[in-house]
Amino acid sequence: MTGPSSPLDRLPEPVRVYGPIAIAAGLLALLPLRYSESGSMMSVITEGLVFAAYAVAFNIIFGSTGQLFLCVGALAGVGGFSSALLADRVGLPMIPAMVVAAIGAGLVGGLLSWVSVKRSLDTIFIGIITLAFSLSFDNFILGRRDLTGGETGIFVDAGADTLLRDRVPTYYVMLGLVVAYLLVFRLLQRSRTGWAFRALRDDELSAELTGIDVTRYRVLAGFLGSAMLGFAGALLAHSGRGFIGPSTYAFGDTDVRVLVMLAFGGIGTLLGPVIGAAALTWIDEVLVEYAQLRLVLYGVVIIALFLRFRRGIVPAATEWLARRRRPATVRRTDTARSARQEITR
Amino acid sequence: MAPLLQITGLSAGYAGEDVVHEAALAVDEGEAVTIIGSNGAGKTTLFRAAVGLLRPSGGTVGFDGEDLTSLPAHRIARLGLAYVPAERHLFPEMTVTENLLLGAFPGRPDPAKQAMVFDLFPRLAERRSQLAATMSGGEQQMLAVGRALMSGPRMLMLDEPTTGLAPVLAKEAYRALAQLRDDGLTLLVAEQQVPLALELASRGYVLEDGRIELAGTSEELAGNPEVQRAYLGVA
Amino acid sequence: MIAAILDGLVLGLQYGLLGVGLTLIYGLTGVLNLAHGQIAVLSAVVVSLTMAGGVPAIPAVLVGLLFAGLLLLVVDLTMMRAVYRLDGEPRILLGLLLMLGVAFVIDGLLEWRYPIEQLRLSIGGDPIPILGVSMSTGSLLASAVAIVAGALLIAFFRYTSLGRAVRSVIQDEQGAQLCGINPSSVRTFVFGLSGALACLVAVTRAMTSPIGASNTISFTVLALIVAVVGGLGRVSGALAAGVLLGLVDRLSSFYIGTYITTIILLAAAALTIVARPHGLLSRRPA
Repeated sequence: MTGPSSPLDRLPEPVRVYGPIAIAAGLLALLPLRYSESGSMMSVITEGLVFAAYAVAFNIIFGSTGQLFLCVGALAGVGGFSSALLADRVGLPMIPAMVVAAIGAGLVGGLLSWVSVKRSLDTIFIGIITLAFSLSFDNFILGRRDLTGGETGIFVDAGADTLLRDRVPTYYVMLGLVVAYLLVFRLLQRSRTGWAFRALRDDELSAELTGIDVTRYRVLAGFLGSAMLGFAGALLAHSGRGFIGPSTYAFGDTDVRVLVMLAFGGIGTLLGPVIGAAALTWIDEVLVEYAQLRLVLYGVVIIALFLRFRRGIVPAATEWLARRRRPATVRRTDTARSARQEITR
Repeated sequence: MAPLLQITGLSAGYAGEDVVHEAALAVDEGEAVTIIGSNGAGKTTLFRAAVGLLRPSGGTVGFDGEDLTSLPAHRIARLGLAYVPAERHLFPEMTVTENLLLGAFPGRPDPAKQAMVFDLFPRLAERRSQLAATMSGGEQQMLAVGRALMSGPRMLMLDEPTTGLAPVLAKEAYRALAQLRDDGLTLLVAEQQVPLALELASRGYVLEDGRIELAGTSEELAGNPEVQRAYLGVA
Repeated sequence: MIAAILDGLVLGLQYGLLGVGLTLIYGLTGVLNLAHGQIAVLSAVVVSLTMAGGVPAIPAVLVGLLFAGLLLLVVDLTMMRAVYRLDGEPRILLGLLLMLGVAFVIDGLLEWRYPIEQLRLSIGGDPIPILGVSMSTGSLLASAVAIVAGALLIAFFRYTSLGRAVRSVIQDEQGAQLCGINPSSVRTFVFGLSGALACLVAVTRAMTSPIGASNTISFTVLALIVAVVGGLGRVSGALAAGVLLGLVDRLSSFYIGTYITTIILLAAAALTIVARPHGLLSRRPA
């Protein structure tokens, strides 16, 4: 989506391309100045960053290539539990354990992508298969008490002697992760691969005709996004209290929120996932007294967003600005049509 | 007497682009009329717009004094204007009998009508419990016509009833249509197999690039040099 | 062993009825109703509250059936209209996400207002011996209701003109229109039917074990698995898959263990999709 010419377009290219990431990082970096006194607030905003990282990674899979992976939590959990077990039981150092765990999660996600591309599954079937994987994973966590502690969960030793047990440094580590993920997303968008992703999303058939290897790019997105989810999950396992349990990565707690965040912020946009994560974290905090109503609110947000805007606030705001700038040239029908196309992203 | 079907100034198309431009035609009760035109001339679009499967961008469709222009397809079907599309749109996983019973929806299936259909197409009677998807193209065409007849329509519109049929079967299909015509059913047939169509119909229209370019009796059309060159293979 | 098989059959019929509701709506509209289990449980809670208000069981169940039917009917008439204006993948995605939203709303409401409310329909009487196994009156009645409901459904789709009309719209919507069938009325009817079936399943389950807020997701997931294994859009397929999976469920819980059972059922759905993505499962192209 290229907006009409504006003063912003005259900025030098690096500023235009990476400026939004820098601004978001700068703003988020200021938060601990206000909240570092409060332990509970620090853990709320740190968790917000973890979800932002999930949402950016999920955006690479769903937003870029349209594969509806309903297993964000499970992939993060594969990373988290494997990294914890590799470090504590096998004795790997923490960072290699995290990397191996992330690759493991990436392979799982890549396999899911590969199967769905090979069998040319529709969105709905990818959704069902990944949902089945999610729920199997949740059951596995509860069932294999010897490995996962079942309902009680496990404490992770690796990471205890690092700065990941301190609140403020952990926040900045997570912020670093989110910024790194945003850079990956941006670089992907601008690479030949990103061009292929866009072609794929718009029209698979013509993408194939122009010689893009559909399998390869889908699977690549599946692998990369899943590995990023696994790494974020692993980092979460080793940080904070160093505790992971069945609800840490459960479908109902993770996927639901990530989906709402992405829907709210804007599927397929750079900063949408971060804005969505920030908004939902803030809303949760405001509504903390009505925690039981949180789910109702999520439902209403999803229904209202998809019914009214179809795409989330970043694209809606961009379009609103564009319309204000050139009111006569953007016709209603055009916006309606682009809105309809947008949902496929 | 006013015509049974009266189409005036009808324009229709897809994604805001008209394929058919201001077409006008009329069919009297009891008449058999044909629309001839090559592939892509707009015959299917014209028919779909007339029976409510496609919203026209302009013009009117009147049937027996009623304005059909803004009616949905199922209401038009119930008014007695039956349409047999070229792709037939049968119910593939239902038997011949079930397909026929649905043709009588929402009324009670009439055994006399079913007997009439089986009389017209004895093949269908033999295969009454076979699934539609497993039948040959010719049998599917018979079933599509049979299903349309089950509601006791006043008029039958057929879009290229010989699509995908071998010449022998195409002739057979037209023999059945001729019988329906002789029984007094009003027919409008779009066709590329021009000789067959002109033999069936008493009048015809020529549709080219979405416009009705020519109209006349079957003899006039068969004698027209342009028609001969374009559709009858006469040099 | 025999107890496990009998138990599996009863359970399987219930699974089948749960799957039919989901498969019908998908087959007709492409909307995957991810709120199916939520609606079942919500209507069970309605039945329970009605009974707590002093209404006898049977009228209370009728209230529940009506409630669930009307709820889905309203969903069809309101938010689904936006879905029907789309085609292909966007339609499927929007339908799925909207129903997911409905599921969250119902789950949230149950968690908020009725976290411990449960429907329990205990039926007295001594256990009755069948094939050397004694079965409780409750589970006998539950199986009787499920068998009758399943038979009525099959008869409805095979022998009535409305039932045939529903199948015709699933198989070829334009063909149905040409036969004078109004697809949007058929859709509204099927949404209502699906809701009532969901409630019926919850009610029969409640004859053997209490039903409450914690059952929503597992109901939805079971309906999904059954519908997928049976082939999305196929009524008899869903009923057969339900019985099959009910047996697998009971036998594997009996011999292996419960957490593996769920994984086996989920794997069955995933493998069906991978092995027969277009054969048994996918919607036939329009």
